[in-house]
Amino acid sequence: MSLILFSTIVDYCVGLGLKNESHSVSKRKLLLWISISVNIGLLGFFKYYNFFIDQFTTAFTLFGTSFEGSSINIILPVGISFYTFQTMSYTIDAYRKKIEPTTNLLAFSAFVSFFPQLVAGPIERASSLLPQFIKKKQFDYTTAVDGMRQILWGLFKKMIIADNCAEIANTIFNSPADHSASTLVLGAVFFAFQIYGDFSGYSDIAIGTARLFGFNLMKNFSFPYFSRDIAEFWRRWHISLSSWFRDYVYIPLGGSKASKTKQIRNVFIVFIVSGFWHGANWTFIIWGALNALFFLPLLLFKKNRTHLDTVAQGKFFPTFRELIAMASTFLLSTMTWIFFRAESIYHAKEYFQYMFDWSLFSAPNTLSKSQLKITALLLMFFLLIEWLGRENEYAIERIDRLNKIQRWSFYAFLLALIGSCMPTSQNPFIYFQF
Amino acid sequence: MKQFIKNIVLFGVFASLFYVLFISITEKHNPNNMYKKQAGHMHTRLSEIPKYPKIDILFIGSSHAYRGFDVRIFNRNNISCFNLGSSGQTPIQSLYLLEKYLDDIECEKIVFEVSPQAFSSDGIESISDIISNEKTDWKLVKMGIDSENLKVFNTLIYANLRRFLKLDTNFSEEKTIGKDTYISGGFVERQKQSFKPSVSTSYEIKQPQLAAFEKVVDIIKGVGIELVLVQAPVTLAEYALYKSNEKFDALMSTYSDYYNFNELISLTDSVHFYDSHHLNQSGVEVFNEAFIELITN
Repeated sequence: MSLILFSTIVDYCVGLGLKNESHSVSKRKLLLWISISVNIGLLGFFKYYNFFIDQFTTAFTLFGTSFEGSSINIILPVGISFYTFQTMSYTIDAYRKKIEPTTNLLAFSAFVSFFPQLVAGPIERASSLLPQFIKKKQFDYTTAVDGMRQILWGLFKKMIIADNCAEIANTIFNSPADHSASTLVLGAVFFAFQIYGDFSGYSDIAIGTARLFGFNLMKNFSFPYFSRDIAEFWRRWHISLSSWFRDYVYIPLGGSKASKTKQIRNVFIVFIVSGFWHGANWTFIIWGALNALFFLPLLLFKKNRTHLDTVAQGKFFPTFRELIAMASTFLLSTMTWIFFRAESIYHAKEYFQYMFDWSLFSAPNTLSKSQLKITALLLMFFLLIEWLGRENEYAIERIDRLNKIQRWSFYAFLLALIGSCMPTSQNPFIYFQF
Repeated sequence: MKQFIKNIVLFGVFASLFYVLFISITEKHNPNNMYKKQAGHMHTRLSEIPKYPKIDILFIGSSHAYRGFDVRIFNRNNISCFNLGSSGQTPIQSLYLLEKYLDDIECEKIVFEVSPQAFSSDGIESISDIISNEKTDWKLVKMGIDSENLKVFNTLIYANLRRFLKLDTNFSEEKTIGKDTYISGGFVERQKQSFKPSVSTSYEIKQPQLAAFEKVVDIIKGVGIELVLVQAPVTLAEYALYKSNEKFDALMSTYSDYYNFNELISLTDSVHFYDSHHLNQSGVEVFNEAFIELITN
């Protein structure tokens, strides 16, 4: 609590300083660096201190000397990765004169700590969210109902899709050596749906809750598993973070307008830093690097902006080519998720090692058949609804075209599925740990 | 705003009715509905209670009790008894059953089967078993709500809907279900069969279970009935996996006479058990004879 208060006060004061027209360029730069240093410093200490100590100790040991750094027991403050990035975007935009810094401390504090998105985003921009705290709110029936609908869909994604997939994925990931290669592939696929249901479900709940109060938050997911290449996937996955890195890291480094060598460097920097943002573990760094590796050919051959539209727009069925493109993109992202889910590099290595042997061509084993059957059916239902609603803000947005009885029956059906199929063990949101 | 609240309330009613209908239609395939009329012969056991108004020993506890104390062996030794054990019964359910039935059964001694598993369990299996076989009263509803478990809520809703629609009026339970045979007096017999040892597990005592256990002890001592606490034998492999056996034994000994039969008799995993923690009939014979000798001398 004191950290978020400190961060808020520092950035509010920096904003006031940047508002002062009489300040020289160097003074403005100094103010910006104060904000960046404080936020990155807090994040670095609370999230990465122990990681760096461990790395230094290992590195010094390798060179035959010793390093006297000791790890400390740090509890990661909830939402620190999200609100530090949100406040930094405010000071950077104020420095760039893209927004007018606010003098309203209450509104600014609400912007930093807005409860629906505080712990796991979307990471909002001041230009979009801050003015909403100043504008007078009036209850709007349609917006409130829309918010409720999005919350319901988010709950379904989290409690049914993510948590059921988690039950299976956890069993498999916890002991890769005990499962056949085909089961491990299945485990990776279930984790892919778990992480999507978990994080996009949270985003839907956050966006829906904000809408209930009359606030509009940015879209964070746009049906990423219907992407036709990795570039499209990253335009559709965790949009608020991807766009943050694009605007505040990638473009300032020269973006795709720089030389080829610099473009490659920029892509790697952005993906690796983005991976590291998730957690102090080499697995996240490798996850980021792999995504950069898959993205690079598209950038170098100028194919990274080929798919800016929605797949099979206006049609029910995709073409065979689109289907293959979606399947291969899903497969690539699923392979990278293994690093994201693994607890260590060794764990990931072990998982891959067992995944590529002859049992890849055998039927998956050692899983509860009834659990597998129910989860597979739920996933099919989920994918169908997502596919039908892929041109909307969220999958069930346009259900308002149906009549009242049909709409209410559908909502009640979702609730009944939640009550009937949600696992009773507790599964906290994955992104809460970041 | 008024319209919004009105629709929320109307939808709440609509969704509730839809929910009840849904869990009724999907009963057999619903992983969160644990309604089971034929689990551990609880229905028959409860219906037999009026036949045993006065006995020497009343057994309570989990399946270790109703599969471990054979009423026939006790009767052979001129000891009358009734077994009120049930599937997965934990102290919370033992307390419920005792509060409900102790006035109907006059007994000299109560043997309470205790184990680290029962104290570390959430009791969901047992609550659902009781809900499926027992008439609903406020205490049962409260026990269901206190469990804070969706499976129990669903079972409670569904069981009461069945009762409301009188779907179970003519229900009668088979004496033999699968490999289990019900013996009048509450015992369930299973003959020898092979089993695969399970991989386990450490147990941590849950505070609500300990609190319920202490209430059971108070109730029994309060009415002047002798209380014997028994830990039934499990396989050596299973027992070796329990952590803090000594701590658990020491804790139980503070409440009443306590016998841990894992330490008192010698059994062979492959001969005397049908799974990692249930005795087969040859195991029951050895265990019960040893127990009778202990309490009669």
